[in-house]
Amino acid sequence: MIDVAVIGVGQTRYGMFPGRTLKDLFYEASREALDDVDKGLDPNDIDEAFVGTLSTGGAQLGNFAPLMMEAAGMVGVGARHVENACASSGFAMRDAVSAISSGSADIAVAAGVEKMSDLPRERNRLWLGISGDVEWERLAGTNFAGIYAMMARRHMFEYGTKISHIKMVAVKNRQNALENPKAQFRSAFTMEQATKSPNLASPLDFSDACGITDGASMVILARADLARSFTDQPVLVVGSGVGSDYVAIHDRTSLTKLQGAVDASVKAYEMAGIRPEDIDFAEVHDCFAIAELLSYEDLGFCDRGKSGIYLESGITQRDGKRPINNSGGLIAKGHPIGSTGTGQICEVVNQLRGRADTSARQLANVGYGLTHNVGGSGAAVAVHIFKAME
Amino acid sequence: MTSYISLPMYAANIDQRLRIIAGKCTNCSIIVYPQRLVCKCCGGKNFDLTPLSGLGELYTFSVLHGGGAPSEFDYEQKMTGDVLCGIVDLFEGPRVMARLADIDSSQLKIGLKLEAVIRRLYDQEGILRYGVKFVPETL
Ligand SMILES: [Zn+2]
Repeated sequence: MIDVAVIGVGQTRYGMFPGRTLKDLFYEASREALDDVDKGLDPNDIDEAFVGTLSTGGAQLGNFAPLMMEAAGMVGVGARHVENACASSGFAMRDAVSAISSGSADIAVAAGVEKMSDLPRERNRLWLGISGDVEWERLAGTNFAGIYAMMARRHMFEYGTKISHIKMVAVKNRQNALENPKAQFRSAFTMEQATKSPNLASPLDFSDACGITDGASMVILARADLARSFTDQPVLVVGSGVGSDYVAIHDRTSLTKLQGAVDASVKAYEMAGIRPEDIDFAEVHDCFAIAELLSYEDLGFCDRGKSGIYLESGITQRDGKRPINNSGGLIAKGHPIGSTGTGQICEVVNQLRGRADTSARQLANVGYGLTHNVGGSGAAVAVHIFKAME
Repeated sequence: MTSYISLPMYAANIDQRLRIIAGKCTNCSIIVYPQRLVCKCCGGKNFDLTPLSGLGELYTFSVLHGGGAPSEFDYEQKMTGDVLCGIVDLFEGPRVMARLADIDSSQLKIGLKLEAVIRRLYDQEGILRYGVKFVPETL
């Protein structure tokens, strides 16, 4: 297999931008990614593009990827839309990596975009339930808030995880986002505020969930042996793994782990030739606060059932031994569904290159960085591991 | 509308929804509900139909407050306040997600004995949709 390196990344600010269009957001991310390729890249040299999006509110379902690439001035690049709900661009990344490692492309693009603010609130709520096993989960009256809530309650029941552990995730990530100029929610958030947040789907409160977000992101990849002709700071994709599971959570044996995440991470660690303890920092899929706790266990950072205690120890804080969601995560940086996977990669790559947007956010110890991108409640998961090229 | 249960999709499973008919794998005897085309356990493709007792225990649950449930439940949520949703471990083995009813949310707890009833879920396109809800066991 041919080694693959990231040569440039770009991401828009995340937020609600009613006046901006999909094309406009995608263009901005592509512009930033191209500018990030220090020694320059002619868009005509890009062989393939993989663009993740859920459905952009149903606005543009056909030929979506060519339309976005055209808007970015990259017309002619073989492009396709990749859809796996909230893991759409994590899988777009996987496909772009495979295109290069298999030898069929020298340069490939993985990108993601979502425009959620176009829709009235009711239609968003109608739309956001579509990534489950709709035929059964939907008639049970729930969407993902209720589904993650039921997983949270089971975790509390089986392992004694406390509400305060769940809230600590939200507080940590919102605090982290304060320093991130690209984050959607940048206001101080304390445990006291978290405990006063109105209930959404018990045991989860509104502050344990993410909001409605617009945004786009792009990652440009090249064969590792060509990477230095584009940048002095390439970042190697040392691990890539994907996994899937039953879509409806009632069909799974356990509700307190995402088997797809376990499988994806095992494959990524194996490819990288490393173990969970070798990961120095990670961006994980905290669509609801409980999901970050599950990720600690699924990725092997701590023992099964111990994520609450692990978080409490401070290890995953910005100044801890293994910072998690230094960007603010989905909860605070924002979760424009299709953009989330490649957006996480932008953060990890910038950290590995020592290019965090503010010095307060630059992590000191960045050997291996990991991204964990989950579709729905775990039906599809993509895990990637990165390391600066020596 | 991108996400809703179309009438044909709903009607195709009417026996499962209104009579709680499960599939029993002819090879390994495991019971699957909702029914499947391929057995979860052995990969078998043949099932005998078997009605379930509708009895089970609450495995986990959530109370969805205003704005938490999908929008087709808005009318009900306006009338009742909360939407109660749970996963029930059925007596015969399968686990299923469904609405909970006839119980105050403060009474819900894991392990609670429940039984299935057929109730109205919501109406859409002028057609009432019925399905299983679980209520406290009456025995
Ligand atoms: Zn079987």
